[in-house]
Amino acid sequence: MTHTRQAPPLVTHDAISVSIMWDRLVSIADEIVSTLMRTSFSTIVAESYDLTVAILDANGQLLCQGTKSLPVFMGTAPVTLQHFLTRYPPETLKPGDVLISNDPWIGTGHLFDINVMRPVFVEQEIVGYTMSITHLPDIGGLGFGASATEIYHEGLRIPIVKLFDGGVRNELVVEFIANNVRTPDQVLGDLFANVTCNEVGERMLLEFMQEYKLSSLEALSYSIRHYSERAMRSAIRIMEDGVYAHSIQIEGIDAPLTLSCVVKVSGDAVAISFDGTDPCVRQGINVPFCYTNAMVLYAIKCLTVPALPNNAGTLAPVAVSAPPGCLLAAEHPSPTGARHVIGHFVAPLIFGALADAAPALVQADSGMADLVTFQGRHPNGRAVAALYFASGGFGALENHDGLAVTPGPSNMAVVPTELWEALTGTMIEYKRLVPDSGGPGTARGGLGQELAIRNDTGSLMTVFFMGNRTEFPPAGLVGGEPGQLRRHQVNGETVHPKGQYHLSPGDRITLVEAGGGGFGKPGERSRALIRHDIAEGYVTPAGAARDYGFDGE
Amino acid sequence: MSHRVGIDIGGTFTDFALLDVSSDRIATHKRLTTPAAPASGVLEGLSDLLVQEQVPVEKVEAVIHGTTLITNAIIERKGARVGMITTAGFSDVLEMGNEHRYEMFDLRIAYPAPLVERSCRVEVKERIRYDGHVETALAQPEVKLAVRHLVEEKGIESLAVCFLHSYANPDHERAVRDIVRADYPELYVSISSEVFPDIREFSRWTTTCINAYTQPLLDRYLRDLEQGLFARQVRAPLFIMTSSGGTATPAVARSFPVRIMESGPAAGVLMSARHGEMLSIKNLLSFDMGGTTAKGALIIDGAANKRYELEVGRVHDFKPGSGLVAKIPAIDMIEIGYGGGSTSAIDARGLLAVGPDSAGAQPGPACYQQGGKRATLTDANLVLGYLDAASFLGGKFDLSLPDAEAAITKGVSEKLDLPLVRSAWGIHDVVNEGIARAFRIHASERGFDYRNSAIVAFGGSGPIHAVAVARKLRAPQVIFPVGAGVMSAFGLLASPLTFEVLQGQQVFLKQLTLETFVEVFDRLMSESSQALVGAGVASCDIEYRLRLDMRYSGQGHAIEVALPEHGSLVEVFPTIEERFAERYAGLYAAVDLETPVEITTWKVGAVGPLPFFPEGYKTWRSSGDMSQSRVTRSVYFNEHEDYIPCRVINRMSLRSGDRFEGPLIIEERESTVVIGPEWNVVVDKTLSLIATLSGI
Repeated sequence: MTHTRQAPPLVTHDAISVSIMWDRLVSIADEIVSTLMRTSFSTIVAESYDLTVAILDANGQLLCQGTKSLPVFMGTAPVTLQHFLTRYPPETLKPGDVLISNDPWIGTGHLFDINVMRPVFVEQEIVGYTMSITHLPDIGGLGFGASATEIYHEGLRIPIVKLFDGGVRNELVVEFIANNVRTPDQVLGDLFANVTCNEVGERMLLEFMQEYKLSSLEALSYSIRHYSERAMRSAIRIMEDGVYAHSIQIEGIDAPLTLSCVVKVSGDAVAISFDGTDPCVRQGINVPFCYTNAMVLYAIKCLTVPALPNNAGTLAPVAVSAPPGCLLAAEHPSPTGARHVIGHFVAPLIFGALADAAPALVQADSGMADLVTFQGRHPNGRAVAALYFASGGFGALENHDGLAVTPGPSNMAVVPTELWEALTGTMIEYKRLVPDSGGPGTARGGLGQELAIRNDTGSLMTVFFMGNRTEFPPAGLVGGEPGQLRRHQVNGETVHPKGQYHLSPGDRITLVEAGGGGFGKPGERSRALIRHDIAEGYVTPAGAARDYGFDGE
Repeated sequence: MSHRVGIDIGGTFTDFALLDVSSDRIATHKRLTTPAAPASGVLEGLSDLLVQEQVPVEKVEAVIHGTTLITNAIIERKGARVGMITTAGFSDVLEMGNEHRYEMFDLRIAYPAPLVERSCRVEVKERIRYDGHVETALAQPEVKLAVRHLVEEKGIESLAVCFLHSYANPDHERAVRDIVRADYPELYVSISSEVFPDIREFSRWTTTCINAYTQPLLDRYLRDLEQGLFARQVRAPLFIMTSSGGTATPAVARSFPVRIMESGPAAGVLMSARHGEMLSIKNLLSFDMGGTTAKGALIIDGAANKRYELEVGRVHDFKPGSGLVAKIPAIDMIEIGYGGGSTSAIDARGLLAVGPDSAGAQPGPACYQQGGKRATLTDANLVLGYLDAASFLGGKFDLSLPDAEAAITKGVSEKLDLPLVRSAWGIHDVVNEGIARAFRIHASERGFDYRNSAIVAFGGSGPIHAVAVARKLRAPQVIFPVGAGVMSAFGLLASPLTFEVLQGQQVFLKQLTLETFVEVFDRLMSESSQALVGAGVASCDIEYRLRLDMRYSGQGHAIEVALPEHGSLVEVFPTIEERFAERYAGLYAAVDLETPVEITTWKVGAVGPLPFFPEGYKTWRSSGDMSQSRVTRSVYFNEHEDYIPCRVINRMSLRSGDRFEGPLIIEERESTVVIGPEWNVVVDKTLSLIATLSGI
């Protein structure tokens, strides 16, 4: 934060007022989200919540965020706003201005996400800002994927610019965008949905201030941060002080990559650095720091105060740093389109690091979601381009078995078999849980699954895999064992998890999804739970003997 | 002089409403629910009411019944042992779910266990493609073995038959049912192509399993009830309320028990719509608040908003997504985790939070003096003067103010270092804000402008909070119907016989011919009307509600488009695309896309004639002395930031046309209406109270 604070305002609202006004602000953010969802075209916004909305005070401090937003948007808005205000200082802004940018380094890590900001005025005074961020349907370039070797391949980079200047639309900017994307009507539709929702946000914020007779949001903002920070800090105190280093290997596109972190817990604060992490690669999987930071905040929040609304106070006790140019602090012009491929591993990396500091809180590794793109022709003649998601098992926690087939940290839902078959003309031959795939532990990892998809379209199909966990299994924690590895097969032959394959009619792919890691020593698992697992077929008798030394008694 | 009886079984109380169709009075009765033998409480209560009102049993012309039996069986897991027969390779669908988390930050989320345990799910060889073609014939011998195994070895009482793509071709599921009928005629069978013939296997199968799980117990219950009614000389037909706000015959309820979940609350919403109609108000928020939860619904353009989805039995902090989702025609209700028994606590932020934990009926709020120590909403409402220690529930039940004060002092005031009254107001207002928030999100997600709409408030606690909630929503009007505590029982009396059917059948609009359009709807209309004709409704009295689920091709979710109620299918056919565009623009942004539009699901509801229901009604007998009292008590209003003397009026003394200015308390036997300063009240011709914000 570049703004220097004057002496903090006194807490002028009592605890009752704070809780009521705070709930109202979150409710306003949620209502802006619902306006955004109703007015945007793209299904990724409406169905995956690949969006967020933030309300910030006049100093740029985050007051609250929409409840339903993906982890990648944790705490990015205040940083983006500072960039906006550096370019256009507050005194130069006027009512009706709307600023936008999709710059990965000042926004949320890839060009697909558009950041839209509107200053909120009471008369000629800025009392706060609203911001919304959504994943656009297209941004030109090569399209969504990891194939770029430079950011220039990935599409249009919009600098910080006023889309509306005092309520007047900048047609040149609109034209620039329209000329650089594949589906201009959808992209502009979503862009203006963002504009509309910020307008609604301003109206509701002003009504709220009127109702509670507030001339500024600062005192309330201070109170909200105060209570949040206090809650966050006291939750951090539960973790044992110390310096915890952790390192994992993950699969890159063609060679393993190393991610490392050092987590320092001291009292009521946490500092995380990523020294030792491999440098960027020439593939679109590099992670700008803003995304890394968001994933760290997500991981820490899961461990501390999961139910607390996001705001500047919950972010304050966590400091994050990474060596510039490493995979987790990619610099221009490294491509970043599929940053999630690497970025999703930040959460399990942190959980692993904190296993000794807070064993009761951390989660063993999850099998994570698998993503396969299908291209071909439907028997009805239409072109098919469809994404299939299939989840591995969720990692176990202390006294809590991992859920079967549950994604994490991402949250895409499966396409039902019946919809998938109608959409693509392929056939899913079976889809079942894999016994013994959950990592053994006092708490067992969630089961993975196996499914087979057959090309029944009568035409050649191409599949693009984007799988992980085929060499490095989901690790167990605190004595727990790893879950089963992921495996991709074409006609029964194991193939490259990030490869591209052609399927003739009748060919099939088989996906075996990774199981979640276990938690705690398998030998300490309750016999009753093992018996139940055997009775329901989650663990085979042979698996129980091998993994748990269980002989049936 | 004939009479109709509405009977609504709730968690704690069973409510009765007896309508004499020649007068404007509805007699009511309330008694404790008898969970162990639910039919006996219903029968005894009915007898008591008839005796009390001196109505001979042969004058009863209809008994309409709503029950929480099905919902409770799911929540308490007290249904039948169920087996499942399913397509080879897919018996794990029930526990794989949507492979999606309903909560991002909580790593310990949970999902309900499937109603059919894994060892009772048997796969058989068969396969139907998405277009209805048979890929692999049904292996009938495997079916016979599977059923025998499930019955003889697993001891199942009910069977769910769930095959892939059965919405497109039900032959295999029907063949299994035929086998079961031949081999085990006593076994209950639910087939997914009949329970919910639409695409998406997880939700169709879950719905089918709920049906199978509850079928035996509903059948037994209805048998007890029918026999009991017969034994008491009641010859009137019995109707069962469904989740969609229409009634069904016992035969239909036996086939589709899943459709009668949450039927009591649905009846309450229906009554809200009826009050709106009487007052010519088309857009309303229905607000029902009782002891453990509140329920909200939208009345849009005169009709209760509906959806094909209802979630029950949430297993993780009452979170949406943590329950079982049934795909049934249902009134689109939000459940809000606040009721009179909601307890307050200091949360992780160090701030005041209320609910979703509830003290329930046992131990109940601290002021009940039954051992409850935590400060509840009812305790706060007592301290604030909204409730009266002496006149609660018509004076039958004394409340203890000192116990309420002690609980709030200890649980909130001391921890937050705030005065007692501030703490009590906090509990009260946190709840108001939470309810307003739930309404805002629910309404705005459905493109409904809640500002400037009216609220209908009922339930034991609704009338205490409604005006304050309205204020927060900027809704300028609140309607308080007579009999707030038994509104669902009234709704039963006002509900028409209804049956809805649907069919998942995907077709591009451009490729849809008039012949297919007419053929599909004709078939669905004839299917839906059978249940009504069977109950004696004349064909000419049946109205049809036709709807289509439509979307731009490639979108995941469809929107529902209503077709006009009058006009022939031939006239409607050319207007479909326009209606879709209009609806789309209403819900989302107006768009003009090249993308083709498709129909995914076809729906028809057959509705019988609306039963007689009086325009205005009262629940009490007129008596001699009805002069309005001049009682006042000290009541807290935040506008004054203090207790002020507030007039208290007995509702029975009000006459149509009476006018008052707030602040004001109006007491009825089972509920209390709180009118803040700045509000005016008029007693309408229907005897409803209409509160309006001054200056509007």
